[in-house]
Amino acid sequence: MNQRTEQIETLFAEGAGRLLRRAADNHGLTAETLIPRVKSAVAKYILRDEPQAKSAAVEEFIDKLQADDLCLIVACELGNQRAWSDLVERFSATVRSAARSASSNEESAEDLAQSIWAELHGLRLRDDGKPAGKLAYYSGRGSLAGWLRAVVAQLAIDQHRKQSRLVQTEEDADFDRIIQRGEEETSWSGHGATPNPELQISTKLTGAQLQKALAEAIKQMSGEDRLLVKLYYFDGLRLREAGAVLGVHEATASRRLTRIHSELRQQVEKVLIEQEGWTKAEAERAFSEEALTLEADIEPLLTGETVLMKKENEVAG
Amino acid sequence: MKQTNHNEVDLLLRSLARARETAAWQSSAEAGDIEGISAAHLDADELNSYAEGVAPAAARARYIEHLADCAACRGIVVGLSQAAGVANRLEVPEQKGGASFWQKLGALLSPPVLRIAVSALVLIAVVGIGFVALRQKGGSEFVAQNEPKPAGLPTAQNNIKPPVNPTPELQPKTGGELFSVTPSESPDKRQAAAGKTAGAEEAPPATIAKAVPKDAGSSVNGADAREVQPFAREPKAEVPSTPMFDTEKSAGVAKEQPVKREDRSRDQDEVLRNEGDDIHGPNRARNAPAPAATQRSGLTLGRGGPSSMEKSKKAAEAETRTVMGRQFTREGDAWVDVAYDSSRATVRLSRGSDQFRALVADEPGIRTIAEQLNGVVIVVWKGRAYRIQ
Repeated sequence: MNQRTEQIETLFAEGAGRLLRRAADNHGLTAETLIPRVKSAVAKYILRDEPQAKSAAVEEFIDKLQADDLCLIVACELGNQRAWSDLVERFSATVRSAARSASSNEESAEDLAQSIWAELHGLRLRDDGKPAGKLAYYSGRGSLAGWLRAVVAQLAIDQHRKQSRLVQTEEDADFDRIIQRGEEETSWSGHGATPNPELQISTKLTGAQLQKALAEAIKQMSGEDRLLVKLYYFDGLRLREAGAVLGVHEATASRRLTRIHSELRQQVEKVLIEQEGWTKAEAERAFSEEALTLEADIEPLLTGETVLMKKENEVAG
Repeated sequence: MKQTNHNEVDLLLRSLARARETAAWQSSAEAGDIEGISAAHLDADELNSYAEGVAPAAARARYIEHLADCAACRGIVVGLSQAAGVANRLEVPEQKGGASFWQKLGALLSPPVLRIAVSALVLIAVVGIGFVALRQKGGSEFVAQNEPKPAGLPTAQNNIKPPVNPTPELQPKTGGELFSVTPSESPDKRQAAAGKTAGAEEAPPATIAKAVPKDAGSSVNGADAREVQPFAREPKAEVPSTPMFDTEKSAGVAKEQPVKREDRSRDQDEVLRNEGDDIHGPNRARNAPAPAATQRSGLTLGRGGPSSMEKSKKAAEAETRTVMGRQFTREGDAWVDVAYDSSRATVRLSRGSDQFRALVADEPGIRTIAEQLNGVVIVVWKGRAYRIQ
């Protein structure tokens, strides 16, 4: 065992001791019982991304763990009935609320809420003889209530998939399909009848190429910008909500979106010029024409949404 | 142009989102398989730590990369963020400001703020100067009304400027200054400006005011001061202390009898100031030629050099008239019914107006009163007060 490992182990032990002392109710746990949990949390959030993390960073991380929640969950995992009763009593309302949010009706919500406790406890046994429940995955980094909501949401998705036989598809694959269809000139956009068939085909081709270039440009964006675009355009969130997911204020999200528009346009033009052989004037004209077409096509559907976005921008700006 | 680009990209993105939805559903149907939450997805603990904003920076960046491409995890995170009220928490730092002092100072001194601030300051300055100017003017007039009569200032009124246009620069800061002006210059001015009518000459007034200590009645506002101002202008006692043999000069000389007139004015001033009725306003001087006649008669009476008691008696008689069994007293340029109470609502009428004609048609007594008393008449008739002018 090298010095670094020893140092880390010492940090875990001391951190577990501090954590135990911070807990208002430690459910009779000892520091030793908490060390594995602390270790896995540190490995998951710190050492995975920064193996040589400083001791201070590790200590700070441990000291920010939710001591009470973590002790409760570890006690439940160890079969402490009082802890189980406490868990159910304190969080059954949270679980029911999360189940209702994730379910389409009250009946399925109740089923989901009931099944969550079994999932938490675990119906199967692990190799060490302990139940293979989800309790083992709570690190104490976030609140127990939030974690329970996330568990309920994931379970709801699983159940929904089983019922509807839908498959979770990666969005990159979706974009690839769009790009492919753009190349094949498919019927993705059925805007108004054009008297001239040649013009109609030309318009569709132009639109498809723009879509393809745009999809590629989005894939090249940074994760945070891409997430904002997805949240706002693909998930239909408002700027305030999208900003909340990113941890920024609505105004910041609005400014970012404006910058993203500018960058996307430049990137799309670049793709069209370099890969499709367009001139800059052609690219600009295509933008204008396509925007006009789309506006006429989707304006009736999006009038309210656009107005809302403008208002959001005004408020945020 | 920038906004146009913004809108074009916005529309394209919306169109792309719709296209992606279609593609996702089609691909899902084609795949026809069931997959659970794969190991590639974020687990509940990671999703929650991200949503609550407690994931370390490096882990957070990793999660963002995944969330940008995974609709399922993104959906969960959105729900968790909303449940955790992250949006509300974000308001606090933005509003209370993590901005440094210099950032705040910079924002405070930014051009838009400065433009508004300068405009506001200029406006405040203009209003302030105007207010101070008005207050000085009104205040000094008011102060004049309350000046106790200084003894031994027989020629004080010689220094009084014509009242028509009292300007601040003509107003001495203390009463002593005004009275210290040499009397010799005043009569000249007075005679030149006063003209031929005694009424015009008698107007002096307002500026007498200025000669008073400012401690008199600081609790009274400028409006009150203006209301009572006419009484200072309208001396009623026309009994000169010195004999006058030239009628033409009598008006001018009358002004040289300030003491008695001022006594009377001040007495009436006190009474009427307490009444506080608007009929005592400055318009009265304009509407009433009566004082001139009164003054002339008073001066004529004074020629014979009557004793002060006789003069007082005659003056009192001149100030009181009885018409239609009602007693009227002369107050400034108005004849006021003794039954009149200043708190009473007053109907204003102009002689010759339709309203006046209608009234006198119904109440001939009022016609008689109006005919026998010149100038403004305030009469109480059948419980109502009428101001006829």
